[in-house]
Amino acid sequence: MVDKLTTDIGGDPAGPVPQEDRDQLFWEKQMIAAFNLLQVKGVVVTDEFRRTVEEMPADYYANSTFYGRRLDGMVRLLIEKGVIDADTIEARTREILESGTRDHV
Amino acid sequence: MSDHDHDHDDHAPTREDDDLELTEGEARFLALKSLLIEGGVMTADEIRARMEFNERGSPHQAARMIARAWVDPDYKARMLADTKSAAAELGIEATEAALVTIENTPERHNMVVCTLCSCYPRSLLGEPPAFYVSKAYRSRAVREPRKVLREFGVDIPDAVDIAVHDSNADLRYVIMPMRPQGTEGMSEEELAALITRDSVVGCALPVEPS
Amino acid sequence: MSEAEPSYAVGDRVRILDIGKPGHVRTPTYIRHKVGTIERFCGMFENPEDKAYGRWGLPPIPLYRVQLKQDDIWPDYDGAPGDVLEIEIYDHWLAPAGETT
Repeated sequence: MVDKLTTDIGGDPAGPVPQEDRDQLFWEKQMIAAFNLLQVKGVVVTDEFRRTVEEMPADYYANSTFYGRRLDGMVRLLIEKGVIDADTIEARTREILESGTRDHV
Repeated sequence: MSDHDHDHDDHAPTREDDDLELTEGEARFLALKSLLIEGGVMTADEIRARMEFNERGSPHQAARMIARAWVDPDYKARMLADTKSAAAELGIEATEAALVTIENTPERHNMVVCTLCSCYPRSLLGEPPAFYVSKAYRSRAVREPRKVLREFGVDIPDAVDIAVHDSNADLRYVIMPMRPQGTEGMSEEELAALITRDSVVGCALPVEPS
Repeated sequence: MSEAEPSYAVGDRVRILDIGKPGHVRTPTYIRHKVGTIERFCGMFENPEDKAYGRWGLPPIPLYRVQLKQDDIWPDYDGAPGDVLEIEIYDHWLAPAGETT
């Protein structure tokens, strides 16, 4: 018996559908663009990305946001493919958080 | 950092989040972006260009197509047969591999969901609404569509069937709402204004003319 | 490389299987073991079950839209008897209705 994928939620009980809309943040739009470029350039394949999201622990999936999952899935996949290094991105994230800088390239 | 650009239309990327505190998510993305650029995987210009490309997708594109279909039965037939080509006729570039239009009729109301993730015809419509990617919608739309629609203020009588389309594989869907009564003589532009983003997913009906 | 041919015609009654495959699949659990009707042949597509693991997903496989009555999916379906669900299913997840897995 194979476990259900964490993403396989069709028919599961759930609360009210959230009605409030929310504009995409600038960085989220950038992220989607970067993600699209990775696909267009053949660095990643959409099916691989979906699979990395499915491989995350169930409690992560339950407590994550839509954009959070896209980011984490993309990072995870790029580490798997050796495009980036896990320690390096972690260190760079800390640096950016500490300095509080942001650039809107 | 470069200056703010000149005025953009509604669809241009904004920089309003300059005033927002830097979150861990954004910091992580900025770290990723810097590594990808340093690694030569992509350039900042490419990211910018792709953001602009993505901004072209909007519900208004589908609204234009549907308004044309409402006034022109031949265009409607072409849109139902080959949605991608029908889009191209109006100068709309849709890049989905397989795009399908499903028509609402007096006998049947249609709605779309992607239970497994968030499949949605983004090149045509832009990013999906927040509700579409929510777990509650993805779980419940297939199981209790009438109840979900009532939460949207849409009450479909039992005499009208509901078809839920789970966009789980390669097709991407556009729902063609029915033309409201009392719209005779309206221009295509006026008709397009009645067709909302949510009506193209099947979670709303088009606006009634005032 | 030979291509698989579509096995089903529009109107055929089919059962959606649970093929017990671990890993990345696009056939949701809620629809497995249910019986429906082929609504259309969508075309030949690369297999996402392979593409998810860095493989090419070739040869392309047939994809169909299957229509099912909601009453046949959910034991407690609370809607109208004519309500349906339509979903995309790859060929290897289908069998003629009447065959069991």
